Amino acid sequence: MLKSFFPMDRVEALVLAFLVAFSVVSFLPVWRGAEIAGMAVFGWLMAALMVLSPALALLVFNRKEKR
Amino acid sequence: MLLERILVLLYFTACIGIGIAASRRVRGSGDEYWVAGRRIGTWVNAMAIMASLASGGSIIGVMGLAYSQGIPATLALFAGAVVGFPLASLLVARELRNFGRYTITDFLGYRYPSRIVRTLVPILIVIAFTIYIVAQLKAAGITAETLLGIPFEQSLTIATLVFVIYVSFGGMVAVTWTDVFQGLLMLVVVLGTGLWFLWEVGTPLELMRRATAVAPELGRVEHRPVSSYLGYFAIWATAIPVIPHIVMRVFTARDGHGARLSLNLAMLAYSALILAAVFLIVPVGKLEFPDLADADQVFLKVMQSKFPALIRGVAVAAVLAAVMSTTDALLLACSSAISHDLLGNILREKASQRTIDLVRVGTAWVIGLLALYWAYSPPELISQFYTAGVGLLSGSLFVPVIAGLWWKKANRIGGVLALVVGALTYVLVHFQILPLGIAPILASLAVSALAMAAGGLLGPPESREMIEAIEKLHAK
Repeated sequence: MLKSFFPMDRVEALVLAFLVAFSVVSFLPVWRGAEIAGMAVFGWLMAALMVLSPALALLVFNRKEKR
Repeated sequence: MLLERILVLLYFTACIGIGIAASRRVRGSGDEYWVAGRRIGTWVNAMAIMASLASGGSIIGVMGLAYSQGIPATLALFAGAVVGFPLASLLVARELRNFGRYTITDFLGYRYPSRIVRTLVPILIVIAFTIYIVAQLKAAGITAETLLGIPFEQSLTIATLVFVIYVSFGGMVAVTWTDVFQGLLMLVVVLGTGLWFLWEVGTPLELMRRATAVAPELGRVEHRPVSSYLGYFAIWATAIPVIPHIVMRVFTARDGHGARLSLNLAMLAYSALILAAVFLIVPVGKLEFPDLADADQVFLKVMQSKFPALIRGVAVAAVLAAVMSTTDALLLACSSAISHDLLGNILREKASQRTIDLVRVGTAWVIGLLALYWAYSPPELISQFYTAGVGLLSGSLFVPVIAGLWWKKANRIGGVLALVVGALTYVLVHFQILPLGIAPILASLAVSALAMAAGGLLGPPESREMIEAIEKLHAK
C-alpha cells in the first residue's frame, strides 16, 4: 500500500499527522459548551492552532536545513 | 476629511509609481512578468504572501464576521487558511518550485495531459477569482465611503483603476513590491490599533470578559451547524496548497526551501493580524456599537470614534492596501489563466512579443472592469461570499494536485474525473440542487477523492517516465 506513494520525510510526516490530529480534536463537540473568559474552548483551540501550525513547520524546516 | 484623502492619494501614487518602474523590467519576458524572475528572497516573499492572503476580508470581513457570528466561527474559517500554509509547505511547495513553470494549470496540464484539464482549470480560476475580486472591491468601496466621504461607486472605480494599472503593466514584480509595502501598512495599523486598546484595558482576557458579559454571543458556538464550521475550515485548509495566487508565489521563490520558509513566516504575521483583530478590536466594537446593521462596518466605526484624522487616513490606506494586495494577485492569476493557460500555446506559435505583451495587459483590464461592473451591486457579508468562490477551487483542484504529486497510481483518467466531479459536486451541493446536508466542500472533496481512486485503480497505469519525472520533483 505505502509503495503506491512517494516517500515523505519522517519528521515532516509526523508534523502533518499532528496538524491533522489537532484539527480533528479541536472540532469535537465537547469543546463547544465549555468556556474560558467568556469564549468557547473551541475558539481558543482554533487560536492556538493558528500560532502552533506555522511555528512548528518553521521549526522543522529550519532544523532540517541546519542538518 | 482632507488629510485622509491626501494620505490615500499619496498611497495610490506610490502604487502606480511602483507599477511604472516595474513595467520596464518585465516587458518582453514571461519569467519576469508572471514570476518576477524566480529570485524573490524569503522575507520579501513572506510579506508579499501575507499581504496577498490578508484581503479586505481579513480586516473588514474578519471583524464583520466575528461581530455578527462570534469569534469561534470566525477563527474556524481563518485558522483553516493558516493551517493550509504548513500543509502547502509540506505537500506542494518544494515540488511545485522544482517543477519550475508559472501556474497551477501548467502542473495539472502536464500531470494529466488533457484538453479538459487545460480548459476547465483556467475557467474555474476566472470564475472563482472574479467573485473574490468583487468581494474585495466592496471592502474598498465601503471603506472609502465611510471614512473619506467619497460615494461608493466612485471609490470602487478609483481603487480598481489604480490596481489594474500597476498589475497590467508591472506584472508580478509590481505586485510583489506593492504587496510588501501594503503588508507592512496593514500590520502597523491592525497591530497598532489592537495594542492601543490592550494598553487601555490591560489584558486580552479582560477585554473578552467585558465584551462577552455584554454580548455573550461573541464567544459562543451557536450560530451555525457543526458541518458549517468544519466546512469553513476545510475550504481554506485545502485551498491554500492549490489556490493560484498563492501557488504563483511559490514559483517566485529562489528555491524550494525559501518557498517553504516564506509560506510559514507569512502565516505567523497573518495569525498575529487576525488574532489582534478578533481579540482586541472586535470586543471594543461590540461594546461601543452593539447594534450595527452592517457588521462589516465595525472596524471603520471604531476607527472613526477612537482616533484622530491622521490615524484614520492611515487606516483607510491600510484597508485599501489589504484589498489591493489581494486583488492585484488575484487579477494577475486571472490574467495568467487566460493569456498564459488558455491562449498561451496559440500566442507563442503565432503572435509577436509585442502582441503577447498587449494581450497580458488587455486581459487584466477586461477582468478588472468586469469585476468593477459587478461590484456596483455588491453582495452582503464579503467573507462568506468569496469563501464560496474559493471552495469551488479547492473542491476541484485539491485532490488532483495532491494525488498528482504523491500517489504513484494517479493517472490521466483519475485526474480528469477528480477535477470535473469535484467542481460539479461543489456547485450542486452549494446551490442545494443536491441537498446532502453537509458542507459543499466536504462532499466535493470526498467525491473527488473517490473519482481519483476509481480512475487510478481501474484505469491504465501511469507511464514510467511520468513517475520518474514526479520523483525528481521530490528531490531535496
